[in-house]
Amino acid sequence: MTEPRPAAASRRHDRRQVVLTGLSAVSAYGRGNQALLDGVLAGRPAFAPVTRFDVSGRRVRVGALLPGAPSLLDELLSVVADACAQAGLSATDRESTRLLLAVHGDPDRLRTTERTADGTARVPAMRQAPDDVERRAGHGTGAFAATVAAKAGLATGPRTYTSACVAASTAVADAAAMVAAGDAERLVVAAGYLVDPDQFALFDAGRALAADGAVRPFSAGRQGLLLGDGVAAVVVESDEAARVRGAQVLAAVHGWGRAGDGHHVVQPRPDGAGLARAIGAALDRAGFAPEEIGYVNAHGSGSAQSDAAEAAALLRALGPHARTVPVSSTKSLHGQALEASPLLELVTTVLTLRAGRLPVNAGFLEPDPECPLRLITGEPPQARPAYALSLNAAFGGANTALVVGV
Amino acid sequence: MSEQTLTAAVHPGLTELARASWPESTADAEPPQLSGFVLSSFSPLVAEVARRCLTRVYGQPPADPARGGRTAVIISSCSGDAVTAAEVARAVDAGRRLGPLLFFQAVPNAVAGYVAARWELGGPVVSLSPEGGADPVGESLAEGLALASLLIRDGDADEALVIVAEQAADDGGRDRALAVLVRSTERTE
Repeated sequence: MTEPRPAAASRRHDRRQVVLTGLSAVSAYGRGNQALLDGVLAGRPAFAPVTRFDVSGRRVRVGALLPGAPSLLDELLSVVADACAQAGLSATDRESTRLLLAVHGDPDRLRTTERTADGTARVPAMRQAPDDVERRAGHGTGAFAATVAAKAGLATGPRTYTSACVAASTAVADAAAMVAAGDAERLVVAAGYLVDPDQFALFDAGRALAADGAVRPFSAGRQGLLLGDGVAAVVVESDEAARVRGAQVLAAVHGWGRAGDGHHVVQPRPDGAGLARAIGAALDRAGFAPEEIGYVNAHGSGSAQSDAAEAAALLRALGPHARTVPVSSTKSLHGQALEASPLLELVTTVLTLRAGRLPVNAGFLEPDPECPLRLITGEPPQARPAYALSLNAAFGGANTALVVGV
Repeated sequence: MSEQTLTAAVHPGLTELARASWPESTADAEPPQLSGFVLSSFSPLVAEVARRCLTRVYGQPPADPARGGRTAVIISSCSGDAVTAAEVARAVDAGRRLGPLLFFQAVPNAVAGYVAARWELGGPVVSLSPEGGADPVGESLAEGLALASLLIRDGDADEALVIVAEQAADDGGRDRALAVLVRSTERTE
């Protein structure tokens, strides 16, 4: 398709500043931000043989999973509570705060989960109902989100995003847009995916999983992605609302952009033009030149075509700076958490920027001429760039870009 | 299509440019098969109402490049693709092999990508799933239009194709779908 004219993005001067005042994440490295930061900065991928469910019939049998059988509802409630507490939100504040939730669906809709008394183990999944009732059940996604909002003490009427691997970043962009425009003072964005037998089987059947058991974004010899647990929440609000409450600002959301490829059902546009437009819109909203971006947490799925398209997008959007700005995909460490991955990556980006070190691009073997990027390999370098770009792309040619600063 | 649906303000600040439904007549029994998608009516329903709606605007694909490049595709569905989800769960529990096509259609973004590629739409691609209730089509439409309004006001799109698809809740029910193309009222006037 032809190149559309650039987005007339809402500019910085005529909108409210958007900040993050609470953030919390759960990953295979454990529960809480410190576990995630320690795991990522240690640079050791969290992948291990999957024991949560039977993978004996699968081509690939590894992922980045928490031990036991965590409950998505419980983990979501935990990260939302942590993020709200960090932001200093009272019960009254939470009651007026809307939830934007990114999930694949209600994980218990089609199966019951049986746990042992200590809540850590699970017997094999059981059918909840006869086949004809399953059809009636649907995904139950919206009802699941309503349950999360109610139990978390947030406002009624959450919005639920199911846009595959950009669901959570689209929710962050929309939350930022709503705060910037004055539609809302504050929102909670939460997202969760816990590796499950159905998605694992689908990705295995689609030959999307890395048979060598490692995610190697932008590297020669990369074989695909690996799934990982990811549950995260952030409090998105105006800087004024944060100041009035005396809340600590953890990061600012300077820019955001979303654009489609208009190219294929599931393959990315090889020239990266759609993702490049999302990056351009995000930089435009931030009012930044490409050179002001000091780190890129790439989508970097580890898939052959997707990584090449993303490198093309970076070259297209950032020009020569794309060859010198440090880039890594933290999916090489914590895995691909599908709908929730962008939020896990955003939290990782903010935590590492605040810690003054950049996360590595694990699994790197040797350069791929199609991905001429400055990848962070070896030890996580000491660096404290002011601004970072967090990128995501998904089936359907959906692309998002977020510009954050600490 | 009535004059009223063409001109009605569907959401504050938005003007409806075209609309299509499933079913539109008693001839609408099953949506046309969609190459690359199997077993479930969800993706074929989305593709068919999108085709009808955009055909009423553009005649045939692609969309006018001046507009299509900044048209968002929003799928809003309370039910989601319930048939595909149940089929995957059944196959996994029975130890059956899954076909690769199910991998693609397991997320609503895939058929959104089909529509976007077919009509060369380059705006944001977003899938939503509201809670539902007595009127899932109405609720999904309202949610999709609210997002369309946000994306257009925020500047990442000038127009949005909002597609609603609800799979039948039981064997006696009917699948229902709707596609509405909207743009900012300010731009229309």
